[in-house]
Amino acid sequence: MSLYVAAFGFGLVSTSVIALAAVGFTMQFGITNMINLAYGEVMIASAYVAYYIDSAGLSIWLAMIGAALFGAVFSFPINRFIYAPFQRRGTALLGMVIVSLAVSLMISNLMLPIVGYFSVSYRERFSSLLRLGPLALTVNQIAIIFLALAVMLAIHALLRYTRLGKAMRATAANPTLARSCGIPTQRVIDVVWLITGALCGLAGVVAALDSDSFTIASGAGFLITALAAAVLGGAGQPYGAMLGAVVIGMVTELSAAAWSPDYKEVVAFAILVLVMVLRPQGLLAKRGALAAAG
Amino acid sequence: MNTYYAANLLIFAGVDIIACLALNLQFGVSGIVNFSFIIFQAAGAYAAAILSMPPDSNPDYSFQVYFGGYQLPFPLPWIGGAFAGALLSIPVGLVVLRRLRTDYQAIALLVTSIIANTVINNARPWLNGAAGLALVPQPLQDHVDTSADTYQYLYIGLTAVCVAIVWFVAARIVSSPFGRSLRAMRDHELAATALGKNPVALKTTMFIVGGAIAGLSGAVLVGFLQVWAPSTWLYPETIILFAAVIVGGRGNNVGAILGALLVPVGFEEVTRLLTRLNIGPPNLIPALEWVLIGLFILGFMWFRPEGVRPEPRRVYEGAPDA
Repeated sequence: MSLYVAAFGFGLVSTSVIALAAVGFTMQFGITNMINLAYGEVMIASAYVAYYIDSAGLSIWLAMIGAALFGAVFSFPINRFIYAPFQRRGTALLGMVIVSLAVSLMISNLMLPIVGYFSVSYRERFSSLLRLGPLALTVNQIAIIFLALAVMLAIHALLRYTRLGKAMRATAANPTLARSCGIPTQRVIDVVWLITGALCGLAGVVAALDSDSFTIASGAGFLITALAAAVLGGAGQPYGAMLGAVVIGMVTELSAAAWSPDYKEVVAFAILVLVMVLRPQGLLAKRGALAAAG
Repeated sequence: MNTYYAANLLIFAGVDIIACLALNLQFGVSGIVNFSFIIFQAAGAYAAAILSMPPDSNPDYSFQVYFGGYQLPFPLPWIGGAFAGALLSIPVGLVVLRRLRTDYQAIALLVTSIIANTVINNARPWLNGAAGLALVPQPLQDHVDTSADTYQYLYIGLTAVCVAIVWFVAARIVSSPFGRSLRAMRDHELAATALGKNPVALKTTMFIVGGAIAGLSGAVLVGFLQVWAPSTWLYPETIILFAAVIVGGRGNNVGAILGALLVPVGFEEVTRLLTRLNIGPPNLIPALEWVLIGLFILGFMWFRPEGVRPEPRRVYEGAPDA
């Protein structure tokens, strides 16, 4: 039994990591209509930026801020100079998926000569253990949980209570109508890419910190879990992504306790397949992945 | 040595042509963005391998773990490879193609490809895990001397026969009424449905046909390489084939062949030449090759989305002038 309580604790940590990654990804899709398959690679690039800041002797939390800034500054031009021009040209959604995959390939191979194949880890990946009965988490893990909670609350506040959030929701619902109502959708989209880019950078460091060590190849795994959570909750829905993160984070950790930790990603995938077969629109969305009926 | 090099090149070209024709049938003609294409090639390769290898209890093969090992004579492993590709396409196609929106289909297939690789990589008892299968017998090795130069010519001939068969099948599909339905579905799924075409059935059929051809390409490849491991079928390999079809001209079989010769074969050769020059860190040139492939895709999508050889406009008798 205590094994499962411990797994529950890890589940909370996984949930936090996945939620951070999935919310940014799903906001990019919901508001700017872009399935950004380069998301995982931007996460990894940011994780490496944090690694260099960390190895320079600065604190990992400072490195996280640096990585978030990098993620924002890196994601913005990808949209502004690659995705947006293609979208303006009328490239279909499917074409955009291919474009983003090409971008993902380019990012990871531009990084490869710089960072190499070796796995690296942060200096502060070990921290003291706090116990509460059978629940045992490190200080870092608890910090990750609170960080994710704070970010989720901030996103909730942003979307619900600010003019910018309102503009974002309007742009997501109907960009043409939003523009007609005087919302500067172009600027809203720019801001969305800065915010989601920062989230992506932050998520990269957190995911790397949580997995002890990481390599350039970790990006695909990061992307899959974020994708699974986003699709599970209904793509484009920030709250759906949070719910998806809870489901995937908990189920993967509990299955790892019951079965084998080697297949965490496979379990996430199995959940994804089940949802795609049984409820393609996702848990929360009305349409989502369901085929457009025209 | 030179014959070996030329044989290498021709056989890789043949395999890439077979694969590109299959991907063109799926992506170019039917509009299925099959981002998991490479797993069907892998299925064919694994199937051909275990059909031709002796069981892993054989002392020469005991350093690896795998199921099966049937030692079937030559054409059977290749046929089995094609069959395995088709067989794997059925469950994947049924899950992915039935209800999902097309962009989600693409993502689901990409995820499938990554996960399949993870599973085979971690699960050693099935197909020897990350180390992969080695010492896969070459076709007809009991009857001819495989070390002789003439064997290279024989293998080129076998590959050419497969290319010809696949070309024939692909050409027939494209020019048939069935091919017309596929193009109608690709260009306007709703209209095709309204005319009584069943897009799910059409897509699933093409998924299986393409899977079978992909499996065959894997079987041809593994017979030549004699090794097959998860690292040979990572998902970026699919992207190369997509780049080839996009560059060559989607929907056009000649374009697919041209793309296969330009992108996978061409890039491989240029990289080989550049690597010899020893510029920069050891992994710089291969990494730049991938960057260049990405740029190629972006460039063609932007400047010439129809590719080098665009799909011919088909005009039928009695059709009104467009």
